[in-house]
Amino acid sequence: MGGILVMSRGGRHAYGALCALAAGALVLTGCSKGGSDTGTNDKKDQQNAKSQQAPIKFGNAADSTGPAAPVPGAKSGGALEVLARDSYAHLDPAQIYVQDQMAMAQLIHRGLTGYKATSDDGHQHEVVGDLATDSGTTTDGGRTWKYTLKDGVKFADGTPITSADVRQSVERLFAPFITQGPSYLQQWLANTSGTGYRKLLPDGPYKGKHLPDSVLSTPDAKTVVFHFAKPHPDLPYTLAMAGYAVVSAKGDTQQKYDKNPVTTGPYKIQSFQSGKSMVLVRNPNWDPRTDPIRHQYVDRFNITFNQQYETSTKALLADSGPDRTGVSFSNQVDAGNLSRVLADPKLKSRTVSGYQPYVGQMNINMSKPEMKDIRVREAIAYALPISPFVRAYGGSDAMEVAGGIISPTVSGYDPAFDPFGKKKNPGGDPAKAKKLLQEAGKVGMKLTFGYINTNEGQQYSTAMAAGLSKAGFNVQRQEIPSETYYDQVSKLNNNYDIFHSAWGADWPSALTVIPPSFDGRQIADGAANYSQVNDTHVNSEIDRISAITDPVKAAAEWEKLDKYLLTKVVNVVPTGYYKQVQIAGSGVGGFVYDDVIGGMDPRRVFIK
Amino acid sequence: MLRFLVRRIIGAVVILFLLSIVAFLLFFGVPRDPALLMCGKTCNPDSIANIHHVLGLDKPITEQYWIFLHNLVLGSGQFAQGPCPAPCFGYSYHTDEQVWGTLMDRLPTTVSLTLGAAACFLLVGLGTGLLAAWRRGSLVDKTATAGAMVVSALQIYFLGPLALAVLVYQTHWFDKPAYTPITQNPVSWFGGLVIPWVVLSTIFAAQYTRMARSSMIEQLQEEHVRTARAKGMSRAYVFFRYAWRGSLIPIVTIFGIDLGSLFGGAIITEYTFGLPGLGNLAVQAVNFSDLPLLLGVMLFSASMILLFNIIVDAAYAFIDPRVRLS
Repeated sequence: MGGILVMSRGGRHAYGALCALAAGALVLTGCSKGGSDTGTNDKKDQQNAKSQQAPIKFGNAADSTGPAAPVPGAKSGGALEVLARDSYAHLDPAQIYVQDQMAMAQLIHRGLTGYKATSDDGHQHEVVGDLATDSGTTTDGGRTWKYTLKDGVKFADGTPITSADVRQSVERLFAPFITQGPSYLQQWLANTSGTGYRKLLPDGPYKGKHLPDSVLSTPDAKTVVFHFAKPHPDLPYTLAMAGYAVVSAKGDTQQKYDKNPVTTGPYKIQSFQSGKSMVLVRNPNWDPRTDPIRHQYVDRFNITFNQQYETSTKALLADSGPDRTGVSFSNQVDAGNLSRVLADPKLKSRTVSGYQPYVGQMNINMSKPEMKDIRVREAIAYALPISPFVRAYGGSDAMEVAGGIISPTVSGYDPAFDPFGKKKNPGGDPAKAKKLLQEAGKVGMKLTFGYINTNEGQQYSTAMAAGLSKAGFNVQRQEIPSETYYDQVSKLNNNYDIFHSAWGADWPSALTVIPPSFDGRQIADGAANYSQVNDTHVNSEIDRISAITDPVKAAAEWEKLDKYLLTKVVNVVPTGYYKQVQIAGSGVGGFVYDDVIGGMDPRRVFIK
Repeated sequence: MLRFLVRRIIGAVVILFLLSIVAFLLFFGVPRDPALLMCGKTCNPDSIANIHHVLGLDKPITEQYWIFLHNLVLGSGQFAQGPCPAPCFGYSYHTDEQVWGTLMDRLPTTVSLTLGAAACFLLVGLGTGLLAAWRRGSLVDKTATAGAMVVSALQIYFLGPLALAVLVYQTHWFDKPAYTPITQNPVSWFGGLVIPWVVLSTIFAAQYTRMARSSMIEQLQEEHVRTARAKGMSRAYVFFRYAWRGSLIPIVTIFGIDLGSLFGGAIITEYTFGLPGLGNLAVQAVNFSDLPLLLGVMLFSASMILLFNIIVDAAYAFIDPRVRLS
């Protein structure tokens, strides 16, 4: 039946759309549907994981010089059809913080830095200067960072990009209407946490006030210098986020910029019909000699919105008409078709797969008195079966059993780290758990398990509860509607002992994983420290490691802290590393899964 | 007639007013905060408070409701995004677009879908129903009744993907469903909507078949029909001239309600076929806790239902001379 009477049906799809928000904000645990478990674990993914342990290099001027190395076999011309689920709510870079918008932004926006793929398989990257001549220079351990703009960089309207535009781009981040983007840079410049940074420049640059030279200086038209009170060695990563791409000072229309931005990338917006479609065409003012990251192979991208995963998968599988040259930047192969696609070598050859940035974890609510005993927490960790979780998401092609909380796409990941033996035995170890519970004298204790009422949540929570019961817990499952799930579990006085959440890194450093989730000074309603852990050693290590300027050393130290958390604190039990499979029409070339984008790479595609 | 219309319109406004209050209370009653969706990774009470402030959610509910009513009737120049003439539902939390503009932008899709489907299901449904009643007890009747029974048990979320798989992806007989404005290209408009029309109307047609048949049979048993036949009028004349008009009353009632709710957005059909209409907009509004959009879609859909109810009631007078409006 059509009509308003069936409104309630909408709820079934609610978690689907919410996942689009996941990259930036709270990652929902219901991003793909359950399905078969026939897929085999791809060796390539594991090799990929290994390669990811090496931290990403910060490139110099030579690394940052365009043009990008050509994609083998690439041809110019043709139109690419793009099927997208959600319309892009934001085109203003400062408001972009979700994966699908960030993927599209790769084509139209450029920032001071960016990730250059150094291999054709999407696994190897380095951070290079994008609009800047290099990834940034610091002489005082990350307190002062200097960037120089390249010669010949222009906006799509033909005006040159100057340091005044960069200043405008930074200062407008403080204006009240910018609510959606990342806030790392603002907090670092203001030397504060939370939203206190807005006090530094309450109206942004719009009422004649500007950031003082002691914070941001632009001594000439080409030079930009950031000054921080504390060292922030991760800045080159940070500035590569779409949220920090450059905005035109002259063309800054404030709120209206969100629908009609002045772009800088190889493509410009020919038309954007919110909720319907978008057309990107070549930007003649983009000079490939200034861009070491992007290509401009296809003539245009025709993007159509409202295409659910099932629809886009079926259309691309059918491979006829315009869909022959079709892709989806962010849709995955839906769980219903996944096993069929992977079983057929011809169809499989049109797919790419890889990791999403998210790591699933079962939080143990540290504010509960019953959870104060580490033996109880260890018993939960050993007893919790992970296999139901993997099965609920469609098997090993969609979910990989996790070891630590640092994911395979983040520097420092240790594939050998498996604190609770889950990689070897994903079914859990109820015998060991029971022993721990006996030692604690808590056999039969009540354990409230809040679970999300998505298909997946229903499925895995039942089996997980059974596994915990085997170890001697009296598990009480409590359903939480998916629409309000994170509202409920992020409340400090929630009454759940355990509940699941997922977290994605903003850049390949654990700085964007461990501090937001495990800093005991960040416990607040709505904040991301869901387990409410407050460990003095963890807190002081966060401060110490955040200031390490050498990314290699920092990555190793973060991994040590990951190990400390999971062996000495045990406030979470890692469940899975989220993965996905994407498909393209047979006429699409250069179809590669990019680990940093967390999806196919729109910059490399061409029409065969 | 005029008095009838005035009375009904006042009634409709009161219903809409009450509905908006209920919607407001429900929205704030659910433990779900739109700010949390926008809050980002380093979310904390400060940043939530800032978003509340930007969205105006930090004001008391009664004040927010008053502002909503005020803007709806008089418009507003207070929005940072720009002016908002009446009827102003404000700007969407999620997309920052004017809600009324978005509604008007999506309406043509929904209207195209509804009118095409309604034409299909009325023609097929009433035709089959009348035929079944005319040949009551025959094989035609039994087939039509049984067929209608089976088809009305189907659902769009089953029939839609099936039609797509067979008619579009396997046989390539039809275009992939898409919406092109009729003013831009009438051929693509038609081609892109054929499958949604067929799927949506199949299920409605089955119901109209059953309804038309039973209503017709009931009418044929009425005494005035028997009298007419007894007076020597031909079966066909009585059937179409007497019984048919009487049988339309319940059908028009249901049709009015169906049409009204379809104009408010055929949620599942639009979602299944990826059509950018009001139904898809409703789903989006719920998913993103988008209060202004939610109120906009809801009140617009409700107005459609109320409007068509009034039209139906007015239409009775024309169909059935026994009905007097005042």
